[in-house]
Order: sequence, then C-alpha cells, then structure tokens
Amino acid sequence: MLAAAGASLLPWHPAGADDRGGAHTHASEFTATAADVLTVVGPWEMTGLDPSRSGYMFQRMEVVETLLDVNDRGRLQPRLATAWQVSGDGLEWRFTLRGNRRYHDGTPVTPDSVLACLRRAHARPGVLGLAGVQGITQERGAIVFRLQRPFAPLPWLLAHYSVQILAPASFDARGNVVRIVGTGPFRIASISLPQQFDVVRFDGYGGLAIPGRVRRARYISVARSETRTLLVQSGQADLAFSLDPPSIRALQRSPKAALVTAMLPRTTFIKLNSGHPFLADVRVRRAIALCVERQGIARALLRDADLGATQLFPPSMTGWHDPLLSPLRTDPQEARRLLGDAGWQPGRDGIRLRNGQRLELTLATFVDRPELPVIAAALQEEMRQIGIAVRVVIGNSSDIPAGHRSGSLQMGLVARNFGNVPDPVATLLQDFGPDGGDWGAMGWRNGEVPALLARMASGGPAASTAPAASTASPSAAGLAAGRADRARVAAVLQSELPVIPVVWYRQVCATSRRIAGASIDPFERSYRISHLQWT
Amino acid sequence: MTTMHSLSSDDFLDLASARRRPNRAQLAGILLLVVIALFALFGPWLVDIDPARQQLERFLEAPSLAHPLGFDQLGRSMLARLAHGTQLSLALALVSVLSAALPGTLLGLLAAWRGGWFERVLAAIADAVLALPGLLLVLLLAAFAPGGFWPLYVGISLALWVEYFRVVRAASRILLASPHVEAARLLGFGPVHIVRRHLLPELLPRLFTLMRFGFAGAVLAMSALGFVGVGLQPPTPELGVMMIEMLPYYGEAPWLVGAPVLLLFLTLLGLLLLSPERDA
Amino acid sequence: MTTSTVPAWGRYGRLLAQRLLQAALVALLVGTLCFFMTRMLPGDMAYRIAAGRYGYDMVTSAAADAVRLELGLDRPWLAALGDWWGRLLRLDLGVSQVTAQPVAREIAWQLGPTLRLSLLAMTFSLLIGPTLGVLAGLKPGGLLDRATLAVSTVLRALPSFLLGLVLVLVFSVKLGVLPAAGHDDHGSIMLPALTLALGMAAVSCRVARDAMVQVRGSAYFAFALTKGLNLRQALLRHGLRNVAAPVVAYLGVQLVYLVEGVVLVETIFAWPGIGHALVHAIFGRDVPMIQGTALVLGLMFVLFNALVDAACAFIDPRRRA
Repeated sequence: MLAAAGASLLPWHPAGADDRGGAHTHASEFTATAADVLTVVGPWEMTGLDPSRSGYMFQRMEVVETLLDVNDRGRLQPRLATAWQVSGDGLEWRFTLRGNRRYHDGTPVTPDSVLACLRRAHARPGVLGLAGVQGITQERGAIVFRLQRPFAPLPWLLAHYSVQILAPASFDARGNVVRIVGTGPFRIASISLPQQFDVVRFDGYGGLAIPGRVRRARYISVARSETRTLLVQSGQADLAFSLDPPSIRALQRSPKAALVTAMLPRTTFIKLNSGHPFLADVRVRRAIALCVERQGIARALLRDADLGATQLFPPSMTGWHDPLLSPLRTDPQEARRLLGDAGWQPGRDGIRLRNGQRLELTLATFVDRPELPVIAAALQEEMRQIGIAVRVVIGNSSDIPAGHRSGSLQMGLVARNFGNVPDPVATLLQDFGPDGGDWGAMGWRNGEVPALLARMASGGPAASTAPAASTASPSAAGLAAGRADRARVAAVLQSELPVIPVVWYRQVCATSRRIAGASIDPFERSYRISHLQWT
Repeated sequence: MTTMHSLSSDDFLDLASARRRPNRAQLAGILLLVVIALFALFGPWLVDIDPARQQLERFLEAPSLAHPLGFDQLGRSMLARLAHGTQLSLALALVSVLSAALPGTLLGLLAAWRGGWFERVLAAIADAVLALPGLLLVLLLAAFAPGGFWPLYVGISLALWVEYFRVVRAASRILLASPHVEAARLLGFGPVHIVRRHLLPELLPRLFTLMRFGFAGAVLAMSALGFVGVGLQPPTPELGVMMIEMLPYYGEAPWLVGAPVLLLFLTLLGLLLLSPERDA
Repeated sequence: MTTSTVPAWGRYGRLLAQRLLQAALVALLVGTLCFFMTRMLPGDMAYRIAAGRYGYDMVTSAAADAVRLELGLDRPWLAALGDWWGRLLRLDLGVSQVTAQPVAREIAWQLGPTLRLSLLAMTFSLLIGPTLGVLAGLKPGGLLDRATLAVSTVLRALPSFLLGLVLVLVFSVKLGVLPAAGHDDHGSIMLPALTLALGMAAVSCRVARDAMVQVRGSAYFAFALTKGLNLRQALLRHGLRNVAAPVVAYLGVQLVYLVEGVVLVETIFAWPGIGHALVHAIFGRDVPMIQGTALVLGLMFVLFNALVDAACAFIDPRRRA
C-alpha cells in the first residue's frame, strides 16, 4: 500500500495544466514560477465562456476588445471603431470600423464578423436591451444602429464587456462560445475553468502601441482575501485585487508589495423594498438612514473616514456628485422621533411595535465582497439601537436579484458600480427606471426620476456627462439643462431614499516590486497589463 | 470530528483495567476543564457587558485594565463576546454529545440484550449513517437553513450516536456472555439490575472517553462550519465563528484571534489530558 | 466484527458486500437530503435554476415554469422523490445551476486534484507518523516520546485552517520556498498535503508508539531477542507486522479526518478539487453540484475504507477489525 501511495509522488503535474476551456492548446511551456509570467489574482471565478457570464475577465486581461473605449475620465476613445456619428433625429448611429485588424487566429476583422457578433449580443442578455435597438446593419464598412427612440448613451453601451467582439471561430454551430478568439494585445494560451487562465502576447496586434514588456500572464481566482494577501506577501502574485482593509495594513509594511489606490464610482448602499408595508413610509426609510454611522463604519471597517457616503454618488463622479446637496447625517434621536411619528412605539425589549406587530426586517447580503457581511453586522446593531430588529442573512450575490423579482427581499446590502457602463445614465436607467431594478429601487412609486433619466437618455449628448468625441458641440443651454436634471435626480434620491447610501469605495491593488507602471482603471475594464514594465 | 470513530471492539479485551489513580496529567486536565466550565457558566454574568453593543470609534482597541481583551473590529468588547461565545459553543457541544450518547447507549444495550434480527437491523442502520463523514452531513444540513442552530445540533448528534451504539453493543455482548451475568440471570435478577450492577461500571469509562472526543469534535465542527460560511448568523458570538471573523486581523490584533483559539485549545487539551496513557 | 474461520475469498467477499451496501446507502442518503433541499430552500427553486441557466436578465416566468415541469417540482413529493432516485440510479447528476455545465463533467475535472492531494497527504502522514511513533516507542518515557506527545496533542487541538495558515506564514511568507496557494505545476500541492498530513500523523504517531510499546513488552519479541537477533532484525522480522496492524486499522478512522480536512484545506489553499467545489456549491445553493460533490466525497470515503479493510485483512491473519 505504501508503494502504491508512493507512486503518487511521481510527477503527475503534466496533467496539471488541465484544459477545460475547449480547444485551447496545453500550456506545457507555462510554469507560473517562471520569472516572466505576470500573475494576477482576484476573487472572481469564470463561470462560463459566454460574454455575458464572465466576459469581463477576458476584457480585463486584454484578450478581447470592444468597439469603443473610455479613458479615466469617462471620455469615449476609439478602439475597434475609429469614428462615430449620430443622425439629426438621434435614431441612427454610424460606427466606422478600423481596417487592417486581425483576430487571434489570423482572420481579418471584417464588418460582417463584427456585425454577427453584435447581433448575437443584442439577442442575448446584456446592456443593448436598454437602447431600444431596432436593427443593426452594415453599410460600406460601417456598422449602423437603428433605434426606436433617441438614446444618447449608446456609444458607452458599446464599451461594455458583454458587447465584446469575438471571431466567428469562437462560436459553434448553435451559437455557443467554445473558445475565446478576440482582437486584443494578448491571446489565450490555456483556460482552466473556473479557476485560472493563461494569456500570451499576440504578435500580430495592429492596434494601439503597447509600451509594456509583459509577454505572458496568468489570472488565478482565489476566494479568500487572506490567501490573496499571502500570495502577494510571498511574492507569488504580481497584481492582487479586492483586498480587505486589514490586509492593506499588512501589505503597507511588506517589502515585497506596493499599493495603488483609486476611487471607483462604486457605492455600498441598503436596497430597500419600498413596497413592503413597513418600508413604504418614507419616515421609516429616513429613520434608517439617520441611524447609520457612516463615518464610523468607514473609519473602522474601511480604514478611511472620507468614505462615509453623504450622498449616493461619490465625489469622483463629477457632474453627478452635488456638493451643495445637504449631506446624510447620523442622528439616532431624530431617527427614534421619526419612527414614533410613523406609529412605531418602543416595546418592552426595545423593539418597536405597531398594532401588535414587531418592527422586524431581514437584511440580505453576500460574501463576494469581503467587507459587506461586516458592514451588515454593524448596521444590524445600529438599527437595534433605534428599535428595529434585523436578521442578517448572508448568501451569495444571486440572492438579491432573485429576491427582487420574487418580491421577497426586504432589505439588501449591495455594492453597485455606477461605472458599469461608463455613462452613468445607462446604469441608473437600469436601477431607477420605471419598475426599479435588480440592484436599484424596488417597489418605489415615483414618476419623476424615471422621467428625468429617460429625458437625459434621449435628450442628446449634452445631457450626458462625458461629451462624445465627434458630434457638434453642445449648446450652453443644453449643458445647463443636463446639470439641472442630474442635480434633481440626486436630490430626489437623497430625500426619498429608495436606497440608503452607506459608504463609497476605494479600490486598492497590491503590486509586487517586480513590475512598474501599474494603474487602476476606474471603470474596471482593464488591468492594463500591456502597459506594465518589469523592474 | 477528528477522531470520532476512535475505538474498535478490541479495546474491550482490556476489560480488566480497573480505575487507576489519576496521574499528574489527568489532574491538570481536570483543573483546566473546571476553570473553563466556570468561565462558561459565570463569565457572562460576571463580565456584564452586552456582547452585541458596538462602539465604532473604539475599533481594534488594544487590551487595557478595564477591558482585558480589548475590542473587536466593530468596537464590541472581546471579553464579553468570548464569555458568551464559550457558553454557547460548549453548551451546544455538550447538548449534542449528550443527545447522541443517550439514545446510542440505550439502543446499544437493547440490541445486545435482544439480539437476533432486531440487532442486525440496527447495526445495518448504524453502518449506513457512518458512511457519510460527519462534517459532510452537517454541511448538507446547514445548507438547508443557513444561520440556524438546529442543523448544527441535529447533524452533530446524528453523526455521533452511531459510535456510542457500536461501542455499547460490542461491549455489552461480551459482558452479557460473562459468567457473572449468567449467574445473575439464573438467580432471577431483572434486566435493570443487571445493567446497573454489571454493565454500566464497565461501560461508563469507555463512554466518557467517547464523549470527550465527541465534544472536541463538535466544537471543531462548528468552527469548520463558520469557516465555510454556513455558521451562525451575526451577531451571535460563538468560538468557531469568532475565529473566522478575527482571522483577517491576525497581523494587527493577534490577541483577537488568539483568544478563542487559545480557549478552544485549552478545552481540547484538558479533554485530551484526561484520557489514560494509552490514548486512542 | 468477530473473528471468523471462513476461507480467504469469503472473508474478502463479505467485506466487499458490506462496503457495497454502505456505498448504496451513502448514495441514498445524499440523494434524499439533496432532494429535500431543493424543496425546502427559501426562494423559488425553479426560478433560480432557470436564472442560472439563462442569466437573470433573460428569465421569464415561462422559463421558470418549463424548469418546474422538467424537474417535476410541482408534483407530490413522494412521486418526485422516486423520480429523483431513478435519475441517481442512472447516474444522471444533472446540470450545475451556476455554470450550466453537466455536473458529471465538472466533477471529473475536479476529482484528479483531490485524489492527488489525498494520496500525497496519506503518504506524508504514513511517512511521518508511524516512523516517529515506532522510534518513540522503542524508548518509552524518553525525549522523543515526550516530544511527540506534546506536539501531537497540540496538533490535534488545532483546527486545520489555522494549521494551514501557520504553515503558509512560515514556508511561503517568511522562508519563501513554497507557493502559498493555487494549482501550479510544481510546489503548490506541498503545503495543502502537509497540512492534512500533520493532522493525521499526530494521531497515527501515538497509535504506533503504543503498539510499539506493547510489542516490545511482549513475549515473542523478548524471545526473538534471546534467540540472538539484534534489535533491528527482531523489529523487522517480528515487530513491524504487529505494529502495522493497529496502525492500518487506525487508517480507517483517519480517513474521516482526511475527507473532512480536504474540504477545509482545499478552500484555504484554493486547490481546485472536490472539497473546494462543495463549499462553492453550498455558497451558491447549487443543489446538483452539492449532491454530486457530496456523493463523490462519500463514495471516496467508502472506497478508501474498503481498501483499508483489505489491507487489514491482509496484514493480520486473525482478521482483527
């Protein structure tokens, strides 16, 4: 028996480069301990190859590209499309494609192949549904979108990962993605779902000039944040994302790591079911907002008191963050008074009662983001102090949309990235549209905000925050109208509180001393490995 | 659950081992357990601080005279949480073990006494339950109702009772065949008397050994569940969950994760020290 | 487990039958639990499954109804249970709710890493534990004996994830010789295997030591020495087989620790095996995956136990259980 067990010591590792992604070659030349492989570590796992599932991972590792890009300020940049125009009535958009580009398998990027990919993305779940696209066609080397109604944020939608451009060879006969053949500076060397994939520099890349010298990279998914930190501390990882605050402290003292930070347009807030009999009363919602100790939570749990969210939009979202808006504050006394006004009287154990009913609510959250369960525990205690009994249920992130659609969600602690589509209007339409959204309002009856958002979406480029590159310059009146609309949306959300902001978010990335030139993309679309240099 | 199925029937060949005088190690073990039991029983009452009350501005405060274990990441008194957590964890473990031991012992005795197909059926059922490692069973049950008590309790009891059944049954069979019991039966003594006079004195030491390991296993199982993420829901203080919660802070506040670990370690150490030199 | 006088093949045959029965009961138990999980988990299961397959944006109530029909979720539970068992018998493990891939395929990928890890951990523990135990038993009360007692007690009282953390801190961060996590080609199996092995070795060391003490004090060993064999020869010829018997028997007990430890250790070290998949499945309430992974872990346990039984019967002709 010992002999049999001893045989297991034989090098079985050739089987280690499992190839479960489909038709990719074995990474036999890949040993991650080799000095020239950049190792990126994060908590996200690949649940499938389809763009709508884990497409963001391939975009971040620069394997696939989209028609348009955005810079750090949210301004549109050409990528696979060089120029774009909109017709006068706003119903027709024309995107001119760059010539002389090739897919990773060598075939040229033709308007037909791009068209096929876009049509497929439109037919499946993704952001294109927001735009009301009537049809997509191809005319003389340009892609033409015909819309049912004017939709100004369309170009920003085309920068989203679910609209990534893949070669025809990526799909099988039934239209499922079986391999990732993109156009980016890196191509897939091997994929081991769900945990890791390897990429290698694509030598036929004809796009933007790439200054960096990284030729091979690997992404590993590691669920626990302590393990991610340990990987950085031991030098095994070169780039690590989604670190929890205690790890950040530890890494600040480590000689092997350097930290890069950036404010993201992401807010952690309590999503409320405004249709619930307890929460339909705005006084109850305001009371909850008043008992949240934002600065305390930010300082204790995120180690940064500035992250206390005084309103829904963080300061980095210029144009949406309104410094003049009266900030959300912490006042438990006022909260108790509001609850009393709403008819809730303190019971014997401190929990409030009304008509014999206890004020009990469930707060759902998930562990995908390490700070959420701890914030939920803090909120639970703060609400107990004003007389609300909260039961915290920790599940996974799909519980929230499921609870939203079934109507069973009462309160949910979520973190929403308003930079999901670089123009926030599109994201806000998803969240605060007429029927609310999975990650936004629920059961909230308010006509003003959806109408304002719709007007901003259709009202022409002036209404969005980042002006498009190639349209007529917006009029001063148009700009002012846009500003007024945005301020009004922020004000209504602040006062009606269908969602209660808690803290903002600062992304921290740990980099090893082996690399230089790391930066964080505020829209989380790219890890920028093509810009990294070895030290 | 590390050494759940620890004894086989061969250990009963050593029936003649009388109760020895406890040696130094065993005395140390008893002392340790008594101290911890006192802490679990009276700690919450003595410390008298609400374990759920948070003061965010005092997060991760270092230990001081007034608060010997400092504060955790939400500004809650660590000593209070430890006291309540010990009470909860040890109580849960004790209840699980007892609720496994009593039915297991009874069934074991019954099976050995009645024999025949009744015994065979019970033995088959016991084998079936044994088929699944305890943690797996508890995990599956906990997936039903995350954050609740009953999956932990039911799962641990279910996984444990089989051991008591097997041990008691095996020992009883041998004992029932011995001359003393034969004689007692012939003399007309009833089953209750026979069990009390002849069987229990020999069984109890073995049962206690099993209970010690069951106890240790139960506490470790709860910490494993907390690690996996299906443990008790906040803000319940429980040793295993606290270990997981404080784990990220091992760099800046090692006493926070050290306290529940040390307590658990001392409890297990006390239990282990109690076993005789030939520990199994 | 009584001693028996049936011929060898009968002995093995009975063991085999017993383990087969156990395997069948494992399957039944896991399957039934998972069936009830599907019905009793909060939330609309059909909706969840449909959302897992098509994505949340695409799910309509029509899709959910189709799933409900397909899985028989609206039928009375007795009939649906029969259906469920039937599917299990045909080894139809279904499709994962998260990745929409067949469960059987996912498990096939994950089985390899788990088996490698288990076998390596077992090997390490056999190398470390009994060896130290025998050496300690040769001089009871000596330095080695006391040292192993202390260390093994500490190791047994430590939860496995803490042990793993300590090992990572020592070997990866401070010394930098082994990778901390992941599934690399070279060293990343070492730390997880070592974590598991140390926990198991702590127990087998003491068992071996006790057996060695007993053997040493036995009549036949003394006789071998008086016959003129030196210590090493006596040990090799007479002692080891008798020491091996309880050690191998104890392996069966340690398998529990192994299977449970695999679940925890794979999660800490991000080792892409079945334990890791089980934890993820529980998080994601992915019932087909929970069923599949729990089933495989349980069956693996039964299989290893059967192997240990065979080894026991082989080593000890008296067939001590």
